[in-house]
Order: sequence, then C-alpha cells, then structure tokens
Amino acid sequence: MANVLETIVEKKHYSFINGEGVTWQEAVRLSALPLVEDGSVSEDYYKQIVACIEKHGPYVVFEHNIAMPHTTENPEGAYKTGIGFMVSENMIDFGEDEDGEKKEANLFFTLSAVNSEEHMNNISQLMDIFMNDDLIDALGKCRSAEDILEAMKKYPCDNE
Amino acid sequence: MSKLDGKRILACCANGAGSSLMMEKAIDKVMKKYSAKPAELRHCPISEGKSAARNYDIVFCAKTFTKNFEDVGDKTIVIPLKNVMSDKEIEAGLQEAGLLD
Repeated sequence: MANVLETIVEKKHYSFINGEGVTWQEAVRLSALPLVEDGSVSEDYYKQIVACIEKHGPYVVFEHNIAMPHTTENPEGAYKTGIGFMVSENMIDFGEDEDGEKKEANLFFTLSAVNSEEHMNNISQLMDIFMNDDLIDALGKCRSAEDILEAMKKYPCDNE
Repeated sequence: MSKLDGKRILACCANGAGSSLMMEKAIDKVMKKYSAKPAELRHCPISEGKSAARNYDIVFCAKTFTKNFEDVGDKTIVIPLKNVMSDKEIEAGLQEAGLLD
C-alpha cells in the first residue's frame, strides 16, 4: 500500500498557510483546495464538512491539534478518495467542545472518501500518524513538500 | 475466555466514515490484545446507530454524541470516548463496565 504522506506529496494534495485570523470554516475550505484543483472534489464539497461541524461540534479535532474534517463515504461532490493535507503556522480556532474545552488545530487532514478500500487504508495509516508524536511535531513544522518527505523518513510509522 | 466473547459491538460517529472507523480499528486492537472474540464489531453513522444501538451489547461513540443514546435501554452499555483513537480509554470504559479484568 502506498504511504499516505508520499501520496499527498505526489498528488500535490498539500498546502501551507499562515493562518492568522483565518476562521475554521475558511481553513476547511483552504485545506480542500488541492483536492478541488485536481478534480478529486467539487468546489462546494467543503460546505458539507462545515455544516457537519456546525451541527455536531468540533469532534473532528483530535489531540495534538490535529483536525480531520470529513463527511460520509461517497458524499455529493466527492469524486476521488484523497487527503487534503494542510499546515497552518498559527492555530485555527474551532471553538469549544461539549465539555467547554478549547479546540484548535494547526494540522489538517481533510478527507474525501469514495473508494472504500483506499479510504480504509488512508484511515489506518492516519491513525498511525496521529499516534506518532514525533512525526506530528515534525509535520507541524513543515513548510514544503520536501519537509513532509523528510519528516516521514525521519519518523516512520511502524506498520504492524 | 473473555467476557467480551460473543458480544456485539458498535462504533458510532456523525458520518460513519471517519472517526467511527478509527474507533472500530482501535477497539479491534484492544480485542486482539485481550484475545477477545466479539460476535460482531462494526461502525456506522449516528443516524443509523440511534435505532440500531439497542441490538448491540456495547456502543462506543464520540463523547459529543452520548445524548443520542439516552433511551437505548438497560441491555446496551454506552461508552463515550473523548479521544476516538485511544485504546487506553477503550480499555478503561470496558473495565468500568465490568467487561475487562
């Protein structure tokens, strides 16, 4: 199976923003842009993700300031399975969760799920990445595609 | 033998494609760690989970969805997770429910 970070670089599904004063809605839109550019998702696809977070709260923001904005499998406006990876220099504010805890993110993995098998593979690799603290730290400092590949080589995830 | 053998387990999140899938994988890891053999382990969106929950022994959900399972009945144990990937939280929830020694 192809390494998801490698695929992100190969398909140019990455972006880097400063993020100062950017709303989470805008951040979600920006994170999906590389997917829009190669026809993986429609321009409006991100709106479904925003609506979902507005409805259910920022439960897509995990520990270590990782956001995984996503919708269902085979949603309208999603044409190819992929991950829009985005690093923001500044934290993006997602408001508070159900316990009044502040949620913010600087790492975005925005999902488009069309092909079940590819999506499953993406999710399990992302889990390994999210639990690899050194790699997450390094990814937060990435400012280029080369940085992503370097971080990936320096802190590999052990695949069981 | 594990108390989890033969149990039916459901993992729920908003869409049934992201967090619930992560939950399912994390639960599966815990099951393997304890050599438990649940009869069923699957994930689904909250819309489906709401009505399906009563047919399961254990329902895991992201904490924000707990209120959806208020009227699930006594037979189903609902375990809310703050971090959907945390095997520690899953173990702690199962322990509290008396299903893990």
